[in-house]
Amino acid sequence: MAILEEAAPPVEIPARTPVERLRRILVYLLLFGVAFLFFIPFFWSVSTSLKTLTESVQGFDLLPDNPSLKAYREALTSFNFARYTANSAFLAVTITFANLVLASLGGYAFARLRFPGREALFMLVLATLMIPDQLRLVPVFQMLTNWGLVATYQGYILIKLILAENLFLMRQYFLTIPKDFEEAAKLDGAGYFKTYRKVMLPLAGPALAAVTILTFQGIWNEFFWPLIILQDESKYTLPVGISNFVGIYNTQWPELMAASVIAIVPVALIFLVFQRYFIAGIAAAGVKG
Amino acid sequence: MKRRMRTVWLVAACALFASVLAGGAQSRSDVAAAPLAPDAVSGNIVLAHWASSPTETALLKQVIQSFERRYPRIQVTRRALDPYPDSMLAQFAARKPPDVFYVDSNVAPDWIKQGVLQPLNSYIARYKFNTKPFYPRLLSAFRDSKGRIYGFPKDWSPLAMQINTSMAARAGIRAPQTWAQLNTVADRLRATNAVPGGRPICLAADWARLLAFVYQNKGSFLNAAKTRATVNTVAVRRATEFYVGLLRRGLAGTPAQLGVGWCGEALGKEKAAIVFEGNWVLPFMAEQFTSVNFSNHPMPMGRQKGNLAFTVSYSMAKDSKNKNAAWVLLTYLTGKQGMRTWTSKGLALPSRSDVKPVAGRGPFLAAAPYARAWQFAPGFNRVMTVAGNELSAVFEEKQTIAGMLTKIQAEATATLRRGGR
Amino acid sequence: MAVEATTGGRLESARSARVKEAFVGYGFVLVPMGVFLVFFIFPILYAVYISFHDWGVLGKVSTVGLDNYSLLLEDDLFWRAIKNTLYYTAGVVPVQVALGLFMAVIVNNAIRFRTFFRAAFYFPSLASSAAITAIAIYILNADGLVNAVTGSNQPWLGDSDTALESIMGLNAWTTSGTIMLFYLAALQAIPTDVYEAAAIDGAGAWRTFWKITFPLLKPGHFFVLVLSIIGSLKVFDQAFIVSGGSGGPNYSTLTAVVYLYQTAIQDVDFGYAAAMGVALFALIFTATLIQRLLFGKAEIS
Repeated sequence: MAILEEAAPPVEIPARTPVERLRRILVYLLLFGVAFLFFIPFFWSVSTSLKTLTESVQGFDLLPDNPSLKAYREALTSFNFARYTANSAFLAVTITFANLVLASLGGYAFARLRFPGREALFMLVLATLMIPDQLRLVPVFQMLTNWGLVATYQGYILIKLILAENLFLMRQYFLTIPKDFEEAAKLDGAGYFKTYRKVMLPLAGPALAAVTILTFQGIWNEFFWPLIILQDESKYTLPVGISNFVGIYNTQWPELMAASVIAIVPVALIFLVFQRYFIAGIAAAGVKG
Repeated sequence: MKRRMRTVWLVAACALFASVLAGGAQSRSDVAAAPLAPDAVSGNIVLAHWASSPTETALLKQVIQSFERRYPRIQVTRRALDPYPDSMLAQFAARKPPDVFYVDSNVAPDWIKQGVLQPLNSYIARYKFNTKPFYPRLLSAFRDSKGRIYGFPKDWSPLAMQINTSMAARAGIRAPQTWAQLNTVADRLRATNAVPGGRPICLAADWARLLAFVYQNKGSFLNAAKTRATVNTVAVRRATEFYVGLLRRGLAGTPAQLGVGWCGEALGKEKAAIVFEGNWVLPFMAEQFTSVNFSNHPMPMGRQKGNLAFTVSYSMAKDSKNKNAAWVLLTYLTGKQGMRTWTSKGLALPSRSDVKPVAGRGPFLAAAPYARAWQFAPGFNRVMTVAGNELSAVFEEKQTIAGMLTKIQAEATATLRRGGR
Repeated sequence: MAVEATTGGRLESARSARVKEAFVGYGFVLVPMGVFLVFFIFPILYAVYISFHDWGVLGKVSTVGLDNYSLLLEDDLFWRAIKNTLYYTAGVVPVQVALGLFMAVIVNNAIRFRTFFRAAFYFPSLASSAAITAIAIYILNADGLVNAVTGSNQPWLGDSDTALESIMGLNAWTTSGTIMLFYLAALQAIPTDVYEAAAIDGAGAWRTFWKITFPLLKPGHFFVLVLSIIGSLKVFDQAFIVSGGSGGPNYSTLTAVVYLYQTAIQDVDFGYAAAMGVALFALIFTATLIQRLLFGKAEIS
């Protein structure tokens, strides 16, 4: 049984009367307008990446005078782009996978299993969200140093193995799934792990998709902890490389934007792929039977 | 015969005693037992820095490469840290810091007090390193109250006055040399509308600029011994009134008012004819605003000449595992050859008098005898946060100058009393 | 006797089933709790410990008992920071959540170009925080895009009356996409029969949303609100970058974490910063606990 099943996408109800059609067109115009506004930072980034430095610091102008790909060439060669991208990809994929497993297991336990101290432990999980990174920095770094995990991939992966937001999200999602499914599985004699694997996981498509998108993106764009922990230039991630173009006074805007544009592509792809699973009706698909 | 024997025994005993003392003293010092010649030192060390610009990083790589050619037995791993203080403090706390690193003069009093920097006096003595070429005021920025040295300045820059030449020609003005002349010149620039869409002067709500004017008026934040706060004094108030007065009369604008991030950008976008920035504005203009012509001049004089010195040192970590190698790198980077390469592109001024800067830096160098390092006492970062915020409130007319100075004085006095806590 | 044996047997098997359930429960949460305990709970306990000391970067300088906390109570800057942070949170959370929910409902429906709109609305959340902040500084300039459109010449980020508000607007906008994502996921769990039933009953879009969708999203609301409030109370990046680390102009962007950062990293006063961190944590914890109790009844299922 596939973990993620797509129901048939709902069909748009056609507009009947001219009034309805007009209203619909206006709504779409509004939506496109808003979408355009939301995309403007991206357009500006692309536009800046095609300009020269002197041109990019002048006024706000969406169209470059002499578009050129020079900044992209510069960005790809000024630091070990391929290596940094590979590092970012490795870390993002590994950590996302770890989170998917641990968050769904833990979320299921917090939502459905009864064990003493469950609510208190859950508050503890929430408590971890309340501690600013700046406060954690020194003790965490000291621990990693003492355990020889600084300048290693493992050190960074370890602290990101499970994020409280993901655990929280999975729990909330599992709470909304009707109990009938588990009860049916129990009658069939399934143990907890089997129920988790064969019943809960398949129904958790949208939540798993959300975890995938958010975790991948979070790790891919993260700057603070990778720089502090990884330390070894051969292990650096893409954001660290991109920050090379940021100066205190002399930021190299075209190259910075070019690198940022390239960096956004994988995250955008992950989003586009996994947002397909946000299709209403998956829960309904399982009710019958 | 007996007496001579006794003398011999006495001398031998003294010699033995002396050598025991010397040996004991040696083992107690931080330096390795035998002073190694730099060429004999070997090891792997880490150099940490922040990256002001890609050009600078490339230059640093170059300097390190020439160092490794000169001393092939020492390997240097260069690490650019961002954010710098967070990363450094975490590494200090974990007792595994980089061996050699940047220390900004502003944080030097605190880092010295925290005990993370290696005092260098014993090394200076051992390796007979000559510190005389360093400009005295810059070197003192990295001394503690007892005079011990904790780093050597790697470069520096004071403030100077940059004037847009075409606007100056349009208004028919010459570079002002006193406060009064600055007023007149600004009036003239405004009257002739020489700065369309901007203001004659760009002034930031920043004590890192205002303090230069305070020094020019014989005022200061602290007394010479750094035991008393002297903020709430007539000298400081008059200087502030002059500075803020330029703004009130419309002769100056803040970067925010002019629509820029800092005054250097105002110079570049021709929103101001006169700005007060350091050497860093020159490469900035050369890279981003090549078509704007401007000239550099020393800052105008108040009751006396006064200026700020922004400097950064190379220092050694107290917890460094290879101090001899770190020392060799340190003295190369701040030595004649290393500094010459480092300042060859004009990104910063040499902090040694025996290294000449690139052409056109005369107005900056002129401030060397009297520029005072941008630093205060341990724990003063909090005072400067209050000072900066109060100044911006004054600029927005939400606070009086007298009120601001009283507040800063109170904060400074409390910090000094707490001993920098 | 046979009856007793049966009841006894059933009771025992019920008890052992509960024990088994508890074991499985603990087993499933073991690794996450381990990570949280080591990398989050231990540091906050460590912070509590050092808050009773004058603590430098290399360790203890002296023990000061509750001095740090009494200093904190009298600290103008601290209360200023708390006030700014609460104001920020009160402004950002409702906007963020409403916007995110609104967008989620729109792109959940069968409209054309749905994927395109999802991508567009999510895009600001997709870009890295540094890039967005750089762009924001650029367009909020005194002669930037925003002023070109509105015709004013206000230096949005350079004026203490508008600096924090500008950051609030910026953050509400960039995180609304993430909220949209959360609600999108939550909306999938609502079976379509519910909508069909409502349509049959003749309920319009608005009524369907308010009477049916909205209440069914309760676990989603809790999640979104908790994350949104906690995230807002911890705001740091934009306030720090925009003010150059000073919290200005005129203390307007001095948030709790900015002040914490200044104390820890710039003042190198770890003990005082720890006290501040503990106080902040207590504040956030109380806020979350209140939310938990408010939503708690809906969750005991």
